[in-house]
Amino acid sequence: LTGTRPPPALRRGLAKAAGPRSVRQLREAEEAAPVFQYAGKAAKRKDRVFVWGFSYSGALGVPSFVRPDAGWRRPRRIQPTPYRLETAEKISSAACGYGFTLLSSSTTDIIKVWGMGLNKDSQLGFQRSRRDRTKGYEYVLEPSPIPLPLEKPQQTRVLQVSCGRAHSLILTDSEGVFTMGNNSYGQCGRKVVEDETYSESHLIHQLKEFDSRVVQVVCGQDHSLFRTKKGAVYACGWGADGQTGLGHYNITSVPTKLHGDITGVNIIQVSSYGDCCLAVSDEGDVFGWGNSEYLQLASVTETTQVNVPRHLPFKIGKIKEAACGGTGNVVLTEEGNVFVWGYGILGKGPNLIETAVPEMIPPSLFGWSDFNPDIRVAHVRCGLSHFAALTNRGELFVWGKNLRGCLGTGRMEDQYFPWRVTVPGEVVDVACGVDHMVSMVKSFI
Amino acid sequence: LNAASGRAPRQHVRFLPAPGDSGDTGLVAVRVPVLADHPLVRGPRFRRLKIGAGHRLDVKASGVFVLGIGHGNKLLTDLYDCHLTRVYTVGGLFGKATDDFSDTGKLVEKTTFDHITREKLERILAVIQGTNHKALLMYSNIDMKTQEAYELAVKGLIRPMGKSPPIITGIRCLQFAPPEFQLEVHCLHETQQYLRKIVHEIGLELKSSAVCTQVRRTRDGVFTLDDALLRTQWNLQSIQQAIWDCQLKVKTELEKTL
Repeated sequence: LTGTRPPPALRRGLAKAAGPRSVRQLREAEEAAPVFQYAGKAAKRKDRVFVWGFSYSGALGVPSFVRPDAGWRRPRRIQPTPYRLETAEKISSAACGYGFTLLSSSTTDIIKVWGMGLNKDSQLGFQRSRRDRTKGYEYVLEPSPIPLPLEKPQQTRVLQVSCGRAHSLILTDSEGVFTMGNNSYGQCGRKVVEDETYSESHLIHQLKEFDSRVVQVVCGQDHSLFRTKKGAVYACGWGADGQTGLGHYNITSVPTKLHGDITGVNIIQVSSYGDCCLAVSDEGDVFGWGNSEYLQLASVTETTQVNVPRHLPFKIGKIKEAACGGTGNVVLTEEGNVFVWGYGILGKGPNLIETAVPEMIPPSLFGWSDFNPDIRVAHVRCGLSHFAALTNRGELFVWGKNLRGCLGTGRMEDQYFPWRVTVPGEVVDVACGVDHMVSMVKSFI
Repeated sequence: LNAASGRAPRQHVRFLPAPGDSGDTGLVAVRVPVLADHPLVRGPRFRRLKIGAGHRLDVKASGVFVLGIGHGNKLLTDLYDCHLTRVYTVGGLFGKATDDFSDTGKLVEKTTFDHITREKLERILAVIQGTNHKALLMYSNIDMKTQEAYELAVKGLIRPMGKSPPIITGIRCLQFAPPEFQLEVHCLHETQQYLRKIVHEIGLELKSSAVCTQVRRTRDGVFTLDDALLRTQWNLQSIQQAIWDCQLKVKTELEKTL
């Protein structure tokens, strides 16, 4: 009689030997393991946008900071470290104004520009309110498309955007410059209308008459600068500090060409954010005009308002790029050295508060050392009271007054020398505002 | 592996000048060896040696290992307070991930690595260096708002002078031949397992996986590979010679920092 066998599941499997596996078995198991692929050979690097700074105005474009999704959460007033912003398209140009931001993409789709933040002067165009179709939004909390009156919307590309205190400029490749926002000083390039209400306005002005194609637009606090392909500079807007550079201190409502020391000079870059302006020529000279109360132009003149462009004779080498802030200026030379002058936290420790002559910031503060001798600063940018520098390795250094967390270091204290901002990616470009910053970043892999 | 070598302690006897004889006239002051120093009385000179070790070195790692003998132990404490950097040569292998981050551990995952180029690796290393440089400045506990902090930062002399988590002051790629690669790492307050973890994390950042095959310390503070003694040189003469050569270096470094 054969006894009933226990079911095979209960029996201990005696086919495998107990005990540790030998080296050969381990090797075989390793070779038989599956291989995972996380990134292919042709994997592209992704483009991302990071924002940080003061968020109550909606300028960061994250609605949950201002109106949290859950009722018990508190709104986030300041975002002290970089926060990723999801965008529909790859953003090629960004600009931060005084409490608002513009993002633009060089796509041929209909929607090319998005805006968020303060809209009390229609600096983001007319944002139709969903609750009341006749009214517009005063604060835009997430990147909303700005409808532009283009003739050929599916062919024109937006090259660059720029924001001032309450107005914004959008540069296209074939349809000139579009201006929106406050025009009480003529900064939008159209005639000043008495008692005009700028909020909820549908008006977007188009500027086309320049000597050649406009290649760069820059907004100062209440004025606008246009640089054309031929190297000429046009200006319009408020001129009480001489920032229009037209030889008088009045308002200009039509873009007019600048003369003075830049007549005939091929200008390759213009910069402004407050009331002082700088222009760089192709030969490496720098010209300045505008407000000089903070010793920005004190090397050539004692007057505090300069209304004609003056050449600044600095012996620091050929200048590649310049950036103007509210009280301080920064330039970058061909060798990759950074020079600062003006007033405020300039980046050379707490002892250097003001200087009329450019002082160099030592390259070792940007990561240069015997271990890494080929680190160079590639770009410099300026906000109202802080500075930013981008190296060729894609690292972002900031310094200056930390107004409402705009530096992005994670701390609330002012930074007296260049400090690295930890961004999860290689920073391609950065835009500085009064109390917030936006950066365009490429992922590592 | 790197334990102290066992050598026979040497005995040497010195003849001390004798103290003057007690007593009265007629005695001559003669130099006589003190009886207390006589070898039959005193016994062997070195019965035990106090040997202390410098920074730890793993069983799986190799390289320079600093030992102090006798008075050298006090110098070791001083050198530790100097918080000098150490240099390692770390070898890694792409494509595998193990539980203890080295190639002898249990396999966790295998991944592809054909998308990794030297340029991507250098980018990741630059970011690691950047974040660690920031940690260096933050853990040094210096108030960033002072002028001295600015001047030290310009010269690159800011370092944590107390306890801190491991910080990498410099990292670069020496060789890259996929799947193998070799890095040179300059670090502070680290352990070898931390370096293996860094290799694993580099693999993760590159969307693949990596294990560490070799950790070799090439410099520990002021002591480099040239000062180190090989296994064949673990005898009395070479040890004495090495101590003599390093004395000057150690003294200058201590005076500079402390």
